[in-house]
Amino acid sequence: MIYRLPTVRSTFNGFEHLGRFASRTKDLFFDELILDMSEVNFFDANMAAPLGAILARVADAFNSVDIDAVPGKVARILRKNRFLTRYGYEPLRDGHRTAMPFRRLRLSGQSAFEDYVDQWLEREGMPEMSRRARKAFKRKVFEIYQNAVIHSESDIGVFVCGQFFPKKKRLDFTIADAGIGIRETVRRYFENDRIGSVRSLRWALAPHHTTKRGRLPGGLGLQLLKDFTRLNGGKIQIASRFGFYEYSDGAENFRKMSADFPGTAVTIEVNTADESTYVLSDETARDEIF
Amino acid sequence: MTQPMIVRVHDIVGGPLCVSTEDGQRLHDKIFPLLNAGTPLVLSFDRVDTLISAFLNAAIGQLYGELPEECLRDLLSVRDMNDDDRVILKRVVDNAKLYFKHREEFDRAWREELGDEEDEE
Repeated sequence: MIYRLPTVRSTFNGFEHLGRFASRTKDLFFDELILDMSEVNFFDANMAAPLGAILARVADAFNSVDIDAVPGKVARILRKNRFLTRYGYEPLRDGHRTAMPFRRLRLSGQSAFEDYVDQWLEREGMPEMSRRARKAFKRKVFEIYQNAVIHSESDIGVFVCGQFFPKKKRLDFTIADAGIGIRETVRRYFENDRIGSVRSLRWALAPHHTTKRGRLPGGLGLQLLKDFTRLNGGKIQIASRFGFYEYSDGAENFRKMSADFPGTAVTIEVNTADESTYVLSDETARDEIF
Repeated sequence: MTQPMIVRVHDIVGGPLCVSTEDGQRLHDKIFPLLNAGTPLVLSFDRVDTLISAFLNAAIGQLYGELPEECLRDLLSVRDMNDDDRVILKRVVDNAKLYFKHREEFDRAWREELGDEEDEE
């Protein structure tokens, strides 16, 4: 099968495109997939994570996967972040050292994930962060990673990728899994297989929820991410099955996609120009905790 | 009250990374019998570098389903914890209190809200 991918940005449309691609390829078995990228005029570097998750699912069904006809500008982005090296392309030196490279990590690999984050955040070229800011950033990405560990059931791991934009002073970071999606987790919890993806996302982002049964409270990871983004600026994007959520510029937006994005992808964007975008509110720090 | 015992979270977890439910459960399993026996504890977060809600839900949040709130307030305290981590812990504790008091009400309300909308494949 030859699949021609259009331009993919880190937007609602970008995830719809990837969802369509995933739907068209989900039944391939012992077959061949050629991803033709000749019509891709632009590809947001962080979207390599969800694309990588989809391609890994295809490869996991005993299919061969090749990527073909990547235009020069797009190839430069995807060779610098090492995504294309998995498909036979030579890596390209990241002269500005602004890419957090594409990686596939096991769900049990929390130390590997920490090493990855530390290694790439400390590189020259990445934004200068205070110790507090670095910790806050690490906390956010670990909340996302751990959410995938607990809920995704992704047997092929998680896929990560990031990009720093020095001129815009923005750092984008995406973690995608190839798991069951938030909808399935919520459906199982409520024992109702008609609950939709958007409502599942609303539920997952509302306070005091968890799909864990029994004695363990939970369900705070995504809510904390949303709350800190609301307090401190920046952006968050979640695509899970047919559901899409974005928080940006103080506005929250839930939308239903026309295509099924397999699994869940969470993107955070932090404004590196403003230290306050990293840190948490101090208002409750001095209150009685217990 | 007897002198509180200091529990060094870093040493129980075996490192500065407090992120997984499993490690949180280990800490819980160490401190629950002590708290259940009425031993006051100080949890020291010295040398803990990364702390997230999943760890704290397992380590501390679930205690609110096992012991009365007043008991935990009397027996448990923390030290060597920065303000950012305290904010997270406070959220985890508030969430746990609500979870164990009102979970069925929350679920009932959402069961109606979530409804039968499905037109996805």
